Amino acid sequence: MKFARGEGEIITYALGSCIGITLYDPFLKLGGLLHVMLPMRTDPNDQKVYKYADTGLREMIRKLSAFGMVKSRTIVKIAGGAKMFEIRGNSDFGNIGQRNAAMVKKVLMEERLRISAEDTGGSSARTMSINVATGDVIIRSAGKPEKHL
Amino acid sequence: MRIKSYEDMNLQELDVMKEISSIGTSHAATSLSKLLQKEVRITIPEVSVLGYEEAVERIGEIEELVAATLVQMSRDVNGLILFIFKMDMANVVLEKLIGNRYASFEEMDELSYSALEEVGNIIICSYVNAFAQLVGVDIDLSVPSSTVNMLGGILTVPIAEYGYETDKLMYINAEFVMDGVRLSDGLLMLPDIESLNSILEKLGVLS
Repeated sequence: MKFARGEGEIITYALGSCIGITLYDPFLKLGGLLHVMLPMRTDPNDQKVYKYADTGLREMIRKLSAFGMVKSRTIVKIAGGAKMFEIRGNSDFGNIGQRNAAMVKKVLMEERLRISAEDTGGSSARTMSINVATGDVIIRSAGKPEKHL
Repeated sequence: MRIKSYEDMNLQELDVMKEISSIGTSHAATSLSKLLQKEVRITIPEVSVLGYEEAVERIGEIEELVAATLVQMSRDVNGLILFIFKMDMANVVLEKLIGNRYASFEEMDELSYSALEEVGNIIICSYVNAFAQLVGVDIDLSVPSSTVNMLGGILTVPIAEYGYETDKLMYINAEFVMDGVRLSDGLLMLPDIESLNSILEKLGVLS
């Protein structure tokens, strides 16, 4: 998880089944980008909180709130959760992206944060960036034009 | 001592993996050579246990488009096996099989795409067959699945699949030498930790 205030760009590359989440408070020009890989932390002693959607998002919200982020004006955007490989006869395989997306949405709802834009699912990896000065979120994906979320 | 993660393997165990990989890779090279009717030589494989960033760096650029074929292993050994084609390697194969070269994967048509998938599958199957025979295990393989995607995204597939067990990948890297050009073979064989233990046990090296 990285965050910045005032100016700068934060970027995370090649989100596959992982999910990128940006939180942006336009009043403070405070923006953060979190990259989670799995839906849930199962081992409470695991220190890598940002690896998991549940613990990662909560820690991110806690941290940004400490820097003054106000939930009611925060703009939330999410991207990723692709399924790149389809194995015939094993539909469970590779649906981790879908499970990640579901968990991210659940935690956001519990935290009373509304998603204002998303680009999830599909079969292509995505690169996600946020410009902290403007709050502009850009998604880059193979063979597609850049997309502003 | 049982292994809990890839990075727990000691030098001797890694050496054994290298030895089996070397046999697997040479079988794969033989199949490729027969298919392309071309001499294919290999370098001695290196087996490394890498974190995600290191693995990406070793293979290429994070946003680089590559074609990958993925096969799932089951029965005695569970896990994934991934073969990654970079553009240079893909072109050598496609030029010989179809008579086409491409500047990028995005230009590729359906025929070339399925040719690559098939070659990836053949390489994986001959690798796994040699491996299974040597270790004395039965391995079932799934139907192959392919994608053209960013390298970084593709490597998150095994990382996420084993995310609750380990953060590392076992990367077996040999080079295929064709027409005097060295091409990285980009093969990742990823038995789950349970299977890795049983492989090492079978081979009598688990200390």
